[in-house]
Amino acid sequence: MKDFPDYAAGDSALHSLNPLTKLILTFVLCVACFLTKDHIFMASVILCDVCLAAAAGMFRRSLRVLASLLALAFILFFVQVLSVRQGSVVLSLPAGFYLTDCGVSSSLTSALRMTAALTPLALMLSVTKMSGLPNVLVKLLRVPYRYAFVLTAAIRFMPIFFEETARIMEAQTARGVEHDTGSFLKKARLMLPVCAPAFASSVRRIKAGAVSARLRGAGLRTRECVYKNYPFGAPDAAAFFFCALVTAAAIIV
Amino acid sequence: MIRIDGLGFCYQGASKQALSDITLDIRDGDFIGVTGPSGAGKTTLAFALSGVIPHHLKGEFSGSVRIGDIDTAKASPEEIARRVGIVCQDAEGQLLASTAEDEMLFGLENFGTPREEIEDRISYALDSAGITDLRHRTISSLSGGQKRKLAFASITALRPEVIVLDEPTADLDPQSSRRVFETLRALSVSRGATVIIAEQKVMLLCEFADRLAVMDGGRIALEGPVREVLRQGDRLEEAGVGMPGVSVLSRRLKEAGLYSGDIPVSLAEGERMMRKAAADAAF
Repeated sequence: MKDFPDYAAGDSALHSLNPLTKLILTFVLCVACFLTKDHIFMASVILCDVCLAAAAGMFRRSLRVLASLLALAFILFFVQVLSVRQGSVVLSLPAGFYLTDCGVSSSLTSALRMTAALTPLALMLSVTKMSGLPNVLVKLLRVPYRYAFVLTAAIRFMPIFFEETARIMEAQTARGVEHDTGSFLKKARLMLPVCAPAFASSVRRIKAGAVSARLRGAGLRTRECVYKNYPFGAPDAAAFFFCALVTAAAIIV
Repeated sequence: MIRIDGLGFCYQGASKQALSDITLDIRDGDFIGVTGPSGAGKTTLAFALSGVIPHHLKGEFSGSVRIGDIDTAKASPEEIARRVGIVCQDAEGQLLASTAEDEMLFGLENFGTPREEIEDRISYALDSAGITDLRHRTISSLSGGQKRKLAFASITALRPEVIVLDEPTADLDPQSSRRVFETLRALSVSRGATVIIAEQKVMLLCEFADRLAVMDGGRIALEGPVREVLRQGDRLEEAGVGMPGVSVLSRRLKEAGLYSGDIPVSLAEGERMMRKAAADAAF
């Protein structure tokens, strides 16, 4: 999970795309996952992300991120599959629980959808400098900096949350808590108390970032302030073509 | 000119005042060290000087802080930011970008620094902090000390009129700590920047600062030129501040009747004191 938020420097084609292109591509892939219920399509999006990450020299890293997301997806699947009551029973469980065909199908869709929607986000954050996103929003789309900052903070909340969770878990491990236990239930029991402080700590970090930005004149930032240029090139055109293909595929399937 | 008049602050929900009745005048170009034990109010004072209090941290604020012609409680954070740069104790929380270069650029861009000046300012600030080689590194790959140096460089590049630093050498080795102080001294002398530095390393403060303010329990217990403050060793100890080793040594030598000169504030002065004491003893 620790790798999730980090920008990894590189000079791949993906790195060199305009940050706005990367943002649009991420948005399109996320929305496409919500437009369809086709499991193969969602699995294809995940596979496509892993291939893109591999092309950017981040294959191992993408697998680690995928493993973290699949763990979250499994929790989502587990909770949902036990909650859905519609459909015919396919398996009876102790304590009055049972699994239905509708429950299994919808839970699988939700888990896959979450994974497929978040992998492009993780990939984008890995190949885009943190300043790139607000800069293009301010410079190219003329969005006021404060809104660009809020959007960036919202996108970055999840990575920061993962980072804070990892920090707290490391601190607990240093004090003898065994987070590497093989038992899923024990792991879940240990994770639950970590979530609240990790959430509070993430909010605090976002707030500290906002204060720091204002202390360095962020309120004065306009599109003229942005020093770097963000031109579009042929790879961006190819990315937009890919976006159109994905959207069409999502609508068709 | 910075004028702090009857400043008091109590954090929201706290039962005790963090600052009480602080009154202090700081001239343009002054290099003032603020020291005191943990919880004395140094960070809160730094926040009040930079406008974090009352704009971003809520609580009961009384008195006033004026920087030149602006009152920090009434001016907008942007107006204050144009004049005051702060290096916070939590340097990591201050960093916003992915790479060191982007971090340096952020403030410079915001204040509309002319494009032709940007490169010089970045190079100078990185060089002063001794981190030129880190320019293209990702921030997540930097150590705590390197992040602190970067936070320091990103503020010095802005060349504010007033630089407020809260424990800027906390994670730094002695050589890097000295380098930070030397850079600040240079900014104070060559550019006339006012430097206010909250710091526990009294030895460095005494060597580089013009004046020293000792805080205790949210109040200023002692304030004045460094040598004058050091002469009041008992009051310093009462406030929980340890005197520099050379100053303690001079007291002991005086008590033993071996030295009668002024209190030394640096190692060089300490060395001269020892030579003089040795020569007098030999005579």
